Amino acid sequence: MHKSWMKRQSRLGYLFIGPNMIGVLLFFIIPAVYSFYLMFTDYKFMSPETHFVGLDNIRRMLNDDLFGVAMRNTFVFLLAVPVSMGLAFIVAVALNKSVYWQKTLRALYFMPYITSGVAIAFVWMLLFQPTSGPINGFLRGIGITNPPGWLSTTEWSMVAIDIIWIWFMLGYNMIIYLAALQEIPEELIEAARIDGARPWQTIRQVIWPLVSPTTFLLLITGLIMTIKNFGIIQAITQGGPGNSTTVLSLFIYQNAFRYYEMGYAAAISWALFAIIMIFTVLQWLGQKRWVHY
Amino acid sequence: MEKINAANAKPTFPHSPKVKVRMEYLTQIRKIILTLLMAGFALLMIMPFIWMISTSFKSPADVFTYPIQWIPSSLNWEHHIKVWSGANTFATYYLNSLKISLISTIGAVFLSAFAAYGFARIQFKGRETLFLIYLSMMMVPPQVLFVPKFLMFEWVGIYNTHWALILPGMFTIFGVFMLRQFFLSVPSEISEAAFIDGAGHLRIFFRLILPLAKPALATLAIIDFSWHWNDYENALVFLIDKDLYTVPLGLQNFILENNVDYNGMMAAATAGIIPMIIIFLVGQHYIIQGVAGSAVKG
Repeated sequence: MHKSWMKRQSRLGYLFIGPNMIGVLLFFIIPAVYSFYLMFTDYKFMSPETHFVGLDNIRRMLNDDLFGVAMRNTFVFLLAVPVSMGLAFIVAVALNKSVYWQKTLRALYFMPYITSGVAIAFVWMLLFQPTSGPINGFLRGIGITNPPGWLSTTEWSMVAIDIIWIWFMLGYNMIIYLAALQEIPEELIEAARIDGARPWQTIRQVIWPLVSPTTFLLLITGLIMTIKNFGIIQAITQGGPGNSTTVLSLFIYQNAFRYYEMGYAAAISWALFAIIMIFTVLQWLGQKRWVHY
Repeated sequence: MEKINAANAKPTFPHSPKVKVRMEYLTQIRKIILTLLMAGFALLMIMPFIWMISTSFKSPADVFTYPIQWIPSSLNWEHHIKVWSGANTFATYYLNSLKISLISTIGAVFLSAFAAYGFARIQFKGRETLFLIYLSMMMVPPQVLFVPKFLMFEWVGIYNTHWALILPGMFTIFGVFMLRQFFLSVPSEISEAAFIDGAGHLRIFFRLILPLAKPALATLAIIDFSWHWNDYENALVFLIDKDLYTVPLGLQNFILENNVDYNGMMAAATAGIIPMIIIFLVGQHYIIQGVAGSAVKG
């Protein structure tokens, strides 16, 4: 009786999961396995023959100067994450209580995050226009005679991308911080105030430690989200000028679909996976000990 | 009881009524100052959008005049007309995006709900292992999957068709996670009572759980829809024919073909953004809830 019930349960379980599992198998698991195989081949699109090349792709990647450049650019790109979080924390604390028009303001800050990356990419492209764009117009207005060339120069292009990304992520980070702030019991803040803590001390010594799990979560998920992204960069600069904005994820896309070096692209994409895996493990460890709940 | 306590506590407050009024007045002022500061910063945040819309109505000569002309000297509709007319127009891109986003979203919500119920509410062999596999798939970056999917789609013949976006779009691991979380939070007493009355899982799922989950389903639907609407990377990899282009690709195409027409570019960008802004204004509550809930509960 019990056994047949278990069997029936199992059958029902598969019935519910089945449809979704077929898709996950077709569009996630099989491609992932296939990509793992491609990493060890010299597969090029439309090439007559494909050979098994062992670790050649990985060796090539480690000796590729462009891979190093892409790595460095990726790290510069990732700097946007903590900066955006810092700003978001300040905005969230301010919006949490003591302002009017709370809901409207929250919506305004969140707006960039829901809009199409490509559309905002083009708006920023014009805003950053070096000779007559509004941003440099403003900078000249406040007395900077030689404002940066932004997206048109190799030194400033990644900074410009970072600014766009900070702006884009701010609303998301703020919403999550706000949710965390609302979980803090009112009494704790009240108690700190009665003990004579100034607002700044309350923020530093009460609020900031209490939201540390959120900070950690945002940092890790933000890094993962950022490292995967290439749409905005592809739309604005396609990795240029030079290779100054070629980040790892864009580098993979270019190798695969511009040069049709699909085996090589697969190898780099697994390097990207390795980095994401490290972040994920960190998050898992961090949840256990680094952060107090 | 509490009321009495509160009343008792009041006289111990050290300030005289006069001082108290003054303090409230001060907090009021502080609140106003902070509001103005935050509003100023918020304005800075949406400045790119305001500039975009205003530029789309300017004459070409006024695009870069400085100080910035926030209100155009004359309303020029021709840039918007240009965006919406011609061979491949935003009308086509809108229809394509709408078709892809709608079918994907409906499929994704339904399929996720089904799987999430299975993971949350049914005991079966291998459930934990399967869930772990789902979990691990979230770590795989899209770049790993692009090349194999490209080759697979070529092989089955759906490369460069909308199916290349719709079919994979119907499967979202995030959706399964989110809904599973929600289903776990529904008290089991509710379904136990139905079990006793002789209802099976299918009946409980359709009659009890799905109606209860309406807000969660709406949240997932809105987030998923916006994700499909804004998806540029997949469209970039899997579509080549211009008449198949979605809004982000159409936008890119428009800008490649009109790269000196800054007003037109901004009119096109406006066209690309407006639908999401409308959806956001309507479904704000769900979007914010969904984004906050998914991250905080992890």
